Amino acid sequence: MATTTLNPRAETYQRSWVLDWLTTVDHKKIGILYIVNSFLFFFAAGILALVIRSELAVPGLQFLDEATYNQAFTMHGTIMIFLFIVPVLSGFANYVVPLMLGAPDMAFPRINALSFWLLPLGGILIFSGYLFGGAAAEGWTGYNPLTQAKYSPGPGTDLWLIGLTLVGTASILGSINFIATIFKMRAPGMTLFRMPIFVWTVLVTAVLILLATPVFTAGLIALFIDRNYGGSFFDPSVGGNPILWQHIFWFFGHPEVYIVILPAMGVVSEILPVFSRKPLFGYRAFVFATIGIGLLSFSVWAHHMFTTGFVFLPFFSFMTALIAVPTGVKFFNWLATLWRGKLSLTTPMLFALGFLSMFLIGGLSGVMLSSPAVDFHLQDTYFVVAHLHYVFFGGSVFGVFAATYYWFPKMTGRRLNEGLGKVHFWMHFVGFNLAFFPMHQLGISGMPRRIADYSPDAGWTILNLMSTAGAFLIALSIFPFLINVIATFINGERVGDDPWEGNTLEWATSSPPPPYNFDRLPPIHSERPLFFLTHGHGHTADRPDDVVEKPEDDVERRGGAV
Amino acid sequence: MLPPDPKTETAKDVFGLYLAVLIMGGIVFVGVEGFILYAAVRYRRKPDDEQLPPQIHGNTTVEIIWTAIPTVIVLVLFVISTITLNAVEARSAKPGVTVEATGFQWQWRFRYLDDDGNPGNDAVVNGTAANPPVMALPIGEPIRVILPSLDVIHSFFVPQFLIKRDVVPVGENGKPNELEFTISEEGTYAGQCAEFCGLQHANMTFAIQAMTRAKYDQWLKVAKSGATPAPSAPANATVIKLSATGTKFSTDRIEAPAGQPFVIHFDITDGQNHNVAIMSGDKQLFAGKIFQGPGAQDYQVPALPAGEYQFLCQVHPVMTGTIVATP
Repeated sequence: MATTTLNPRAETYQRSWVLDWLTTVDHKKIGILYIVNSFLFFFAAGILALVIRSELAVPGLQFLDEATYNQAFTMHGTIMIFLFIVPVLSGFANYVVPLMLGAPDMAFPRINALSFWLLPLGGILIFSGYLFGGAAAEGWTGYNPLTQAKYSPGPGTDLWLIGLTLVGTASILGSINFIATIFKMRAPGMTLFRMPIFVWTVLVTAVLILLATPVFTAGLIALFIDRNYGGSFFDPSVGGNPILWQHIFWFFGHPEVYIVILPAMGVVSEILPVFSRKPLFGYRAFVFATIGIGLLSFSVWAHHMFTTGFVFLPFFSFMTALIAVPTGVKFFNWLATLWRGKLSLTTPMLFALGFLSMFLIGGLSGVMLSSPAVDFHLQDTYFVVAHLHYVFFGGSVFGVFAATYYWFPKMTGRRLNEGLGKVHFWMHFVGFNLAFFPMHQLGISGMPRRIADYSPDAGWTILNLMSTAGAFLIALSIFPFLINVIATFINGERVGDDPWEGNTLEWATSSPPPPYNFDRLPPIHSERPLFFLTHGHGHTADRPDDVVEKPEDDVERRGGAV
Repeated sequence: MLPPDPKTETAKDVFGLYLAVLIMGGIVFVGVEGFILYAAVRYRRKPDDEQLPPQIHGNTTVEIIWTAIPTVIVLVLFVISTITLNAVEARSAKPGVTVEATGFQWQWRFRYLDDDGNPGNDAVVNGTAANPPVMALPIGEPIRVILPSLDVIHSFFVPQFLIKRDVVPVGENGKPNELEFTISEEGTYAGQCAEFCGLQHANMTFAIQAMTRAKYDQWLKVAKSGATPAPSAPANATVIKLSATGTKFSTDRIEAPAGQPFVIHFDITDGQNHNVAIMSGDKQLFAGKIFQGPGAQDYQVPALPAGEYQFLCQVHPVMTGTIVATP
């Protein structure tokens, strides 16, 4: 009897699949829950984006009044950031990190389930403002004193605060879980410097969340006290300080940018080597650049506040420009990974290359904004809207789709159709640039963000119309994606355990993996244990100038001929 | 990808800096995107190619070089942007004109501060939703703009000056932000609130009209003469009391005698700016002077024919009510 209960393949008792998904503590199911839930919020916030773009297509108020418009952009920003980009990347991390480490699950499976289930609850609370006289309408940054009760009465804003507090709590719990998992659950042989880059980016992200999010959550609670119990944290008319709110918000809000970009960088750093058939160039440099970005991200927050007049400009300007250095190093590493590789332009690779070319634009416009004198002109204009979408959408969302196409075969055993995938990529890529590139020019010529209407004499009409067309093209591109996911899920091509010739441990188990993840693990001598398993020592015997992957290489990973 | 024609001395510096930064960014952009495209074409894997490419793990020399390159770029950028920043932030000992541009939901008020020690004589420009305020300014001399806020954060933004500064409510002991510029050319320049400030944020527009010193002096004389307080009400007229708190009138219905002039005693209980205007459809029958509270003014309203009219605050078009004139 005892042998039966210890056998991991033993059948558990049968439950309905609904109950199974609702009560699961399996990191893979929770990961999929995260991803599905995030995509639902992505579609909701995407519809809000279409509403915003429809209103701005031409001058005049056609569809909305100002109140509805302000709610639309506030909800769009809040939901996209807090309930799509952050959690969808957490979802992939949830699914993949334990597999990449050769671990059976996360360190705290029940806390993992809790940190997921807080998300739909928080999201529903945030949205429920619409049922009680209107959702929050102060922008996702909730600046004070506009967010104070006397300027923004109504329960929408309180629900927004409560919902965000829950979402913040979920993030904090999740980050502790990731840190514990990464430090304590690695398989034998999986040293820190053999961890896949994706795991490194998730680790740094988790540390950023752990340090930044509690500050924000405290700020949310202080604001709730201001609104409901006569606090005076942020209202200058009763001795509060509205700039303090901005410091609190951006002390969290800027690391937040890296919280959503680092895991996407991690995804891309997994995909580029696999589809170039080369190791990531400068693995250690990449790790240190990731840590560097994480550290610097805590010293740049006030660049969001250059025009407030209450900031020591040279310091924050310098630190902001400086963060371009580790980012630049990463770019060189990615490009060098492509150099002399053998590239397969599959859909995940296309999205990864899309990430490189689009995030680059967001990075460069960010460097422009780091100069205070230039920022005095561009701050709070559509240039900033363009910049942040090139980072969040051109960066993180391209990374999210790359991850979806890349790991879908692991999650389902079936590969998404390449033809539909490429249609999706190109519509998405063209639509994205059509929607957001013109915004640079709109901002440079002076169009402020968050305005419901603009004058027909301002000369902004054609660019706005282009942008709206682009937004609808992005929306259309979701259809080939959705059709692809559904059709593949039902009747897609079965591709086995390792369709891409992957480098990392998740490809060493079955697709989908069993609940306990691994029957046995391959030996781990580098950050590419699967590559080593497939190609072994002698893979380059006919090319003597190449570096041979040997266990001894772990000691000194340098020295390859360039 | 270029900003509007710069119309102040410092805006020209900012334009130059912007151009330098754009060119530096453009070079990086072309280089990186070019390499990605090149790699995607040049290094495509042939369908039946099973051989591995060289497995290159890294190269310390190259990595040091390409850490140094962005560091140098960043340092150059920091130096040139600090030089321009110092020019933009420079303050003159005695500006030619000092204007207090007060932001409030959702309008601007421009008060010209002169040195005669009597704030009552200052010229004031008020805006309405239909007619945004215009700030007349002389060219060729430093202009200082002081930016207090009566409620939430706004931002004073003139695209052709390539500058903005937030209008922050600072409480009793705080010092409001200031901005200084020297306009180089005559012309009318559009401006707008750039910091989201609530419902009618999009409507907080204004304009700056730059003119020669002589024309400006003439303008100022006229503006000052318009600042005299309204005469007090005749004793026999009907007086209707109306007050406003925040952005709400005390009532949404007023009754007035038809066919004879009457007085509206309009009391603003807080620091807001309001007026009372009477409309028949789109036609304006009466518009009282806009003023800032706390305080009251008596508006003398001409006789209205019997009927129902709308009254509203032109600063806050959301504040409306019905006025009924009965014989």
